[in-house]
Amino acid sequence: MAKRALITGITGQDGSFLTELLLDKGYEVYGVIRRSSSFNTDRIDHLYQDPHEPDTRLRLVYGDLNDSSSLNTILRQIKPDEIYNLGAQSHVRVSFDVPEYTGEVTGLGCVRLLEALREVGIQPKFYQASSSELYGKVLEVPQTENTPFYPRSPYGCAKAYAYYITVNYRESYDLFACNGILFNHESERRGETFVSRKITRAATRIKLGLQNKLYLGNLDAQRDWGYAKDYVEAMWMMMQAEEPDDYVIATGEAHSVREFLDESFSLVDLDWKEYVEEDPRYYRPAEVDLLLGDASKAKRVLGWERKVSFKNLVRIMIDHDLKLAQQELAMQEVATSALASKARWGAS
Amino acid sequence: MKSALITGITGQDGSYLAEILLAKGYRVYGLVRRSSSLARNRIDHLQRMSASSGERHHGVLQLVYGDMNDGASLRHIVDEARPDEVYNLAGQSHVRVSFDVPEHTADIDALGTLRLLEALRETKLDVRFYQASSSELFGARDALPLNESSPFRPRSPYAVAKLFAYWTTVNYRESYGMYAVNGILFNHESPRRGENFVTRKITLGAASIKLGIQSKLVLGNLDAKRDWGYARDYMEAAWLMLQQPAPDDYVVATGESHSIKDFLSEAFGCLDLDWQQYVETDARYMRPAEVETVIGDATKARRVLGWQPRTSFRELVRMMVDHDLGQLRKEVGSSLLHPEKLV
Repeated sequence: MAKRALITGITGQDGSFLTELLLDKGYEVYGVIRRSSSFNTDRIDHLYQDPHEPDTRLRLVYGDLNDSSSLNTILRQIKPDEIYNLGAQSHVRVSFDVPEYTGEVTGLGCVRLLEALREVGIQPKFYQASSSELYGKVLEVPQTENTPFYPRSPYGCAKAYAYYITVNYRESYDLFACNGILFNHESERRGETFVSRKITRAATRIKLGLQNKLYLGNLDAQRDWGYAKDYVEAMWMMMQAEEPDDYVIATGEAHSVREFLDESFSLVDLDWKEYVEEDPRYYRPAEVDLLLGDASKAKRVLGWERKVSFKNLVRIMIDHDLKLAQQELAMQEVATSALASKARWGAS
Repeated sequence: MKSALITGITGQDGSYLAEILLAKGYRVYGLVRRSSSLARNRIDHLQRMSASSGERHHGVLQLVYGDMNDGASLRHIVDEARPDEVYNLAGQSHVRVSFDVPEHTADIDALGTLRLLEALRETKLDVRFYQASSSELFGARDALPLNESSPFRPRSPYAVAKLFAYWTTVNYRESYGMYAVNGILFNHESPRRGENFVTRKITLGAASIKLGIQSKLVLGNLDAKRDWGYARDYMEAAWLMLQQPAPDDYVVATGESHSIKDFLSEAFGCLDLDWQQYVETDARYMRPAEVETVIGDATKARRVLGWQPRTSFRELVRMMVDHDLGQLRKEVGSSLLHPEKLV
């Protein structure tokens, strides 16, 4: 029988890549989605099939990490073999605006899910999406699984809660539970308010004359950026290991926002300095220092390695966003010519 | 007159802190939850004194309804009290119980702290904030004693929630420049300790056995070692932390550790009893993940705050035993007058 996986956060960047990976491996995939009047399933629409088809292997169920009873019901019905908890309020800067909500979903959402497992009495494998933001004001460089945490945002604090409660359930209830401490991972599906995607969207839109300026926060911030698709593979590998454990997933290379700008704008033959302005509104109240991960444990134990380099990552994102920008331009031209012809008709 | 807000005022620490602050002439606001059974026995004496313009203190005590679960109530109280100092002592504070109600524990202990800090940030008052952090943050450690730089390794839903609150407090200090501190308090006991905590269970049990009300005492792990101090001494430290030129985090501990067995032998010894004849162990009281030995190093608090514990382990145990014996004698006496109360 096919293995069953449950993914929270399936509509997000990582959820969509993970869904692809698991479907490829023959899993039945169940995704938890929140009810919202606007559809937000763009990232998985290409994978979705009519649930009335007998061989449908991707199904979506309504639920919320804020709502314990929904989690209980879902687990009781689906009885998954593997759970990937990727659902969260995942934006660090925004967490300063909605700290309580971030704590509810990103922090307590995880314990609600773990408790639901215990209540339903199933013992699936559990993956918790932990984050390099746990290291915040870093206490050593590079960071490993043994580096002490120092979270510097409501998001980081909530993720630290989720990390430790996952360890606690592993130790107290003998649950196969893993933390993947993932450093920044980007892709053409990255949310458009994240700096990497903001840059590639802007570079390509500026190139086509759709935009003039790009406002960013701290340009000197350095991050260890990998490709999300490589990273979801690491998640799956953790769940197939002999023993549950926690792993850092990173490239081991740090690049500044400036370098990301250089790389992106030069791919479209532009000089970013002519377009980029710093806006202190995008600064975080407390900035994190040099996040640089050491994934040697993941390499040694899981045999995991990233496949996509920094340069290739930026290229993938630029290529994708250039197409988006071209479509946008084409749409605009259609609209303008429609308007023009309407004006002509009106005049006659 | 300085104004202070205490959450968790009906608890052991809250009641001592209220006494200390009232004696210093503060106007003290205490947050209380609505409950159909009143649970204010630890502060009844303060309310009475406050009502009858007491001699021992000059402050005023005022209780206000609210809940750590209810952000609006916290904002309302902060507006009303306009406190100079806020002591956040409220929490689901029982480690073993946190395995039964992990979500509630996180909601109150972790998010409750965050809600309160947000309420304070919104008012833009110049306020000093004390967060009741706990030695449970450290969990099991080989390297002892533990100080402010020791790494955290929380081992219960309680500890994980408290860590969330700890980091949130640091985060508000660093992000918004708030005067916010963590007091990392090691175990602190007193005659007002909750009756389901091991120390109080022992002193009440020993006194009950002495008076022939009870024949045995059932406990969990007897080998666990803890650094036990007197709660009142520790609340002096909490106050001192808010009187400094700059906010910082401090470990508060005695630096000595004693096993549950030591506590038993001291407590039963006060009553000329041999504990081994009365104590049984039950795995139900064991925690799913146990912390074996805990010792704190309060050097920083001694150096910067000039704080030190005034009550020794022996004095603490004796104080608790004497109190429980006295209280039980009163109860037994009254039940002799009113035999129906024995049923």
